[in-house]
Amino acid sequence: MKIYLRKILLIGLASPILALSGEIGTALKADTLRAEPFADAKTVGSLNKNDSVDILNKKGAWLKVKTKRTTGWVRILSVKRGSASSSSNAKGVLDVASGRAGTGQVVSTTGIRGLSAEDLKSAKFNEDEMKKLESHTLSPSEGQKFASAGGLTATKMAYLKGTK
Amino acid sequence: MKPLAMNKLLIGLFLATDLFATQALALDLGKMLEDAAKDKVEEIKNGGETPPAATPESATSAPASTTSAATPEAAPATAQPEFNWKNPSKEEEIALGREITGSLLGAAPLVKDEALQNYVNQVGRWVANQCERADLPWKFGVIESSDINAFAAPGGYVLITKGLYQKLQNEAQLAGVLGHEIAHVVKKHQLKVLQKQQLLNIGAGKLSDLLGKDDKLAKKVIGSGAEISARSLDKTAEFEADRMGMVLATRAGYDAYGLPDVLQTIGQTNKSDNSVALLFKTHPHPDERLTKLGDSAGSKFDNIKSGKTLENRFYKLN
Repeated sequence: MKIYLRKILLIGLASPILALSGEIGTALKADTLRAEPFADAKTVGSLNKNDSVDILNKKGAWLKVKTKRTTGWVRILSVKRGSASSSSNAKGVLDVASGRAGTGQVVSTTGIRGLSAEDLKSAKFNEDEMKKLESHTLSPSEGQKFASAGGLTATKMAYLKGTK
Repeated sequence: MKPLAMNKLLIGLFLATDLFATQALALDLGKMLEDAAKDKVEEIKNGGETPPAATPESATSAPASTTSAATPEAAPATAQPEFNWKNPSKEEEIALGREITGSLLGAAPLVKDEALQNYVNQVGRWVANQCERADLPWKFGVIESSDINAFAAPGGYVLITKGLYQKLQNEAQLAGVLGHEIAHVVKKHQLKVLQKQQLLNIGAGKLSDLLGKDDKLAKKVIGSGAEISARSLDKTAEFEADRMGMVLATRAGYDAYGLPDVLQTIGQTNKSDNSVALLFKTHPHPDERLTKLGDSAGSKFDNIKSGKTLENRFYKLN
């Protein structure tokens, strides 16, 4: 019975309309809200950690968000998309369909499977698959060719420093 | 007394006595050592066809007194060069990574889609061109698993699960994920774990003669190599790989926010979902990773001209 109810719940949650309507976000940290999506734009307000926001727009590295108090632009990495309760609903349905839901173990025999620590521990070397993997190895110049075909050009940028 | 005997054997095998103090830690290290020792015991009992670990040449780097327990069997007639754990050569690193990756492939084979495998190699190779170890023979693959995860092994091996691949929406996101894994290899994160734990001291001197050969002995060297992939790296190593991955993708001309996008997606996956069980066990929560990335990124990307996402070229899996 419990499993049956869960199925219904999961299928209900999987509605695409739900997933798309008015995206919600949560502030990962305190940050400044600005009038425009630029670092030197006028300050119009601030975000506190864990504030809920409505995400209105996205431009480059910036999100336009609406808080209870004001509307403004904030750096994309300061906001976590979705609310705490959102989850991968489609995946949940797949789990139910394949008999994986709620067991903590792979019970399906559908071919596609999980990869648990236990699986990895008991894994045996597979020479054939390794040969296949090796057969796809590309040279640096082949990578370059692929990049050019997509209009990608290399840019110089230093690695970022860590923070505490 | 059995436990004592076991310990003595372990000391002989691993030459790393300080490891025992860590047995109570969360990592399964103690268990792994025990398992490895059991295997070794079996091997010795069966008069195994391979020489035991602590042969004279592999013992040269350790106090002689610790090796006596594990040398009842004959030592090989010819001395083999040791696997240089202090400073492995590129070839040794690749041989080690091949073992680990081959075991992973034993747990989950490649997705049977040549175009897909070629595509991830093209993206991965181009991102790897931007790193300090572009000289490695980088190899990328998508493996048949519904889990959401990606793996790197020493020497330039990177695998991503089909489950994670299917969450991606464009090439920049793929580049970000591969960049994160490439960073692990560049910084030798996994290799350092192995070195530190001296786990692979079983037959440490035996790996170098495996180069380029198909030899069962390799399995004795690292046991089930894939297991390393189930263990956690230092949190700081994950944050470092995030920072580097984001920069590597940016250097390659991609939109910088591919990796953060993927972290956002993973962050919205329910923790109780089986597909992220291992990922969440072995990595800091995506929220924490995003926060850390944001702290480090600051305004650093403000002057980078906008990169490409290339969703049109992205190879879609049904």
